[in-house]
Amino acid sequence: MTDETPILDDAIIAELRESVGGDDGFVAELAAAYLAEGPDHVRAMEEAMARGDVAGVVRPAHTLKSSSAALGAMRVSVISRAIEHAAREGRTEGLETAVAEARTAWEQTVAAMNERKLAG
Amino acid sequence: MSVALVVDDSSVNRMLLARHLASIGIDSKEAVDGRSALDALKTYGDEVAVVLLDVMMPEMDGYETLAAIKSDEALRHLPVIMISSVDELDSVARCLEMGAADYLPKPFNPVILAARVRASLADKRLHDVEVAHAEAQAMLLETIERQKAELSRFLSPQVAALVSSPEGEQLLAGHRREATAVFCDLRGFTAFSDSAEPEEVLGVLREYHAAMGELIVEHGGTLEHFAGDGMMVFFNDPVPQPDHVERAVRMALAMRKRFATLAMRWSKLGFELGFGIGMATGYATLGRIGFEGRYDYGMVGAAVIVASRLSSMAEANQILLNPRAHAAVEDIVAVEPVGELQLKGFSRPIPTVNVVGLRAGNAGVETAAAVLSHG
Repeated sequence: MTDETPILDDAIIAELRESVGGDDGFVAELAAAYLAEGPDHVRAMEEAMARGDVAGVVRPAHTLKSSSAALGAMRVSVISRAIEHAAREGRTEGLETAVAEARTAWEQTVAAMNERKLAG
Repeated sequence: MSVALVVDDSSVNRMLLARHLASIGIDSKEAVDGRSALDALKTYGDEVAVVLLDVMMPEMDGYETLAAIKSDEALRHLPVIMISSVDELDSVARCLEMGAADYLPKPFNPVILAARVRASLADKRLHDVEVAHAEAQAMLLETIERQKAELSRFLSPQVAALVSSPEGEQLLAGHRREATAVFCDLRGFTAFSDSAEPEEVLGVLREYHAAMGELIVEHGGTLEHFAGDGMMVFFNDPVPQPDHVERAVRMALAMRKRFATLAMRWSKLGFELGFGIGMATGYATLGRIGFEGRYDYGMVGAAVIVASRLSSMAEANQILLNPRAHAAVEDIVAVEPVGELQLKGFSRPIPTVNVVGLRAGNAGVETAAAVLSHG
């Protein structure tokens, strides 16, 4: 299911830009902040999984879900959302795979944002 | 400018919210979790007008933070808008039950954000106005209480109570009623104040006022005014007194007795002073008299003038009554006629009596002879 979701949703990025009055500088700042804090959330999910702390996965997944959605990084957002829900309900089956998928999607997102020079 | 406290662990969310808030003229302070949000509220105090609060945060989450804000007397009134994604509506419901003002769905829509924040700010302003109003009201009540207390030092106790009572305005407006007016003053006071030192004059007046004032209050008289050594007291108003004439006579007798004690001491100092009283009962108009800035609660009518004239004609130690006053107390006082007095301003002479004392059998028998024997 996640493969159908675009790495970056251009329509959402356009909407974001419009909502701040076409301020590209602000969008760049926002993208830079996202790229700076994103790795912490991905790593936090991986570390929680590694020590078997399923509940500890919930918060970083939740945060990554919403900040990704704000910047149109929809694949990371959708995967994070699935992880958040599974972890909250204690469903561990496939959770490790999902976290690995999130890592992959995250790296693809960084590449796509850099390619478009979103963060300036 | 209004200030919002944005509490979210995601810097992307904080930046976006701050940006949207700035576009509707609202400054932002930021906090990364509940604990730093509570610290910020302590630091910025009243500056913050609304809190935008994320639910899922490290350290202290949105529930705990909201509970802390709502249980703090100083912060309770602060509107808190929960930031929430659409799949968290259960937690939103819980937060609204806990006292959150509203919620803001993620991803943020600037129009919804502006509408919800503005609504919360309006509530907050209304609350602040109510608080300010309540404070002003409390201050006003305190001032009124203080003025009443202050006022009662200048007015007779009955009039002070009347001024503060619900029916006060109606009574102040003026009404007719039978009342008894009592005038008293010192004989020989003018000569005394001409020859004595001012300190001695004031000392005598102070003693005299203190002694007589006590008796006026004790008998329930309403002191209308005093001017130097003269005083005017009336009875049966504003508090109705069915026995007003008797009260007036008993007060006059008590005054005469008290004066004798004072006079004895003064005479040792070489001050020769006497004391006379005139009293009249009749219908009169009572209420507010005077002009803006200086009003008295007064009694106006023929009885007042008769009492005043009788007081000027009274010799030392005399208590002169008009016929109506005499008729009301003839069973309890012993009198002697002093004749039909021609009073200035009255065409017909007025049969007048002097009170000698209470008749035997009436409590506290006092006779003029007993009083005179003091001196």
